[in-house]
Amino acid sequence: MVMNMNTTEFDGHLQELRRGTIVLASLQLLRTPGYGYGLLEQLAASGFPTDANTLYPLLRRLEKQGFLESEWNTDEARPRKFYRTSEAGVRLATTLTEEVAAIAAATAALTDGE
Amino acid sequence: MTAALTPRYIDATVRSLPPQLQAEVRDELTASIADAVDARTDQGESREQAERAVLTELGDPSILAAGYADRPLHLIGPRYYLTWWRLLKVLVSIVPAFAFAGVVIAQALTGATIGQMIGEGIAIALSVIVHIAFWTTLVFFVLERTGADTGVRWSVDQLPEEREPGTGRADLIASLIMLAIFAGALLWDRFRGFAFQADGQAVPVVNPELWPWGMGVILALLVAEAALAIAVFVRGRWTFPLAWANIALAAVVLSLALTALARGELFNPEFVDMLAGNGVDSDARTVLAVLTGLGVAGVCIADGVDGWRKARRAELAG
Repeated sequence: MVMNMNTTEFDGHLQELRRGTIVLASLQLLRTPGYGYGLLEQLAASGFPTDANTLYPLLRRLEKQGFLESEWNTDEARPRKFYRTSEAGVRLATTLTEEVAAIAAATAALTDGE
Repeated sequence: MTAALTPRYIDATVRSLPPQLQAEVRDELTASIADAVDARTDQGESREQAERAVLTELGDPSILAAGYADRPLHLIGPRYYLTWWRLLKVLVSIVPAFAFAGVVIAQALTGATIGQMIGEGIAIALSVIVHIAFWTTLVFFVLERTGADTGVRWSVDQLPEEREPGTGRADLIASLIMLAIFAGALLWDRFRGFAFQADGQAVPVVNPELWPWGMGVILALLVAEAALAIAVFVRGRWTFPLAWANIALAAVVLSLALTALARGELFNPEFVDMLAGNGVDSDARTVLAVLTGLGVAGVCIADGVDGWRKARRAELAG
């Protein structure tokens, strides 16, 4: 991840650009079942730093839209709600991934002439 | 000691959620917060410090709850804002002026003083503005929450015509207020009188015989003028049909005023006598009549020509 000294100045734009990629990253990571806080750490470790108060409502929304499935795991001392990407979610993730790749290619083409 | 922070935080979050969501969110949030606190205590933070940090990071529980319930955090969002704003502007520019005029006329009929009339008129106009703003906003607040469709779609046909200078909102308000004042003055004159005799008794200047039919015609003409002013404002410019309507109105006003004047029916005989008593001789009264006639004619003709010229200019510009 590129961090430069202009980070503060660019914050608003960077945030806007990253917003949609959190859905994509969550759907990809949750192909292996995961729970809220675990996913938060995984996202941060994979280069998608996310706020807890953004992620938790997002998970609920994706579940409501049918892109995630959930199940309570009570095997451990602390019961946790585990999410897993549904079939529709996998299709969405594939489409989003292709789109990001297309955008990256198009962005690269913009600066090729220089 | 106050209760632990986490249960209070979770309570505050789920309180405003739909009942079927509450238990689920409560359980999930409890686990998530506990996980986050554990992660921090593993790093050597004290339990209390970790709890504070985790909850602070999660932020205002009401914002979190809005996220869970998919609720907007604004009064009126971009989907409805412009419709709300346009409607509010139209209503506020028209309705209070009518309320003001209505109150002034009603007060004049009950014999209030000028001060009372204006004071009452302003008070009512202000409360009308507050009501318009409140109820319009309330309706759009509900629309925003229910996601209803206002049926308002933008199309290129709605692009404003190029505005002729002098057909703006200020013009409309000025003409409505002038008409209201004129109507008020006529009624005041009829019921209270403008001309003061030597004994302090007021008599009407305009012939009371004209009441109610002649006056009714005049008031109807004033309403027609008001309607015309609004039509010009709505179209955003003068058009030839509007200009001809304006000329017709001016012609009617002019011919009625001149007829009444020529037949000696315009002024109150008492008022004329009063002038005579004050030493204004008959020659001077003739001059007064002629000046009045010329004044009325001048205003009517200037008004008619002005509308027509503006219409032609708008035509050329368009």
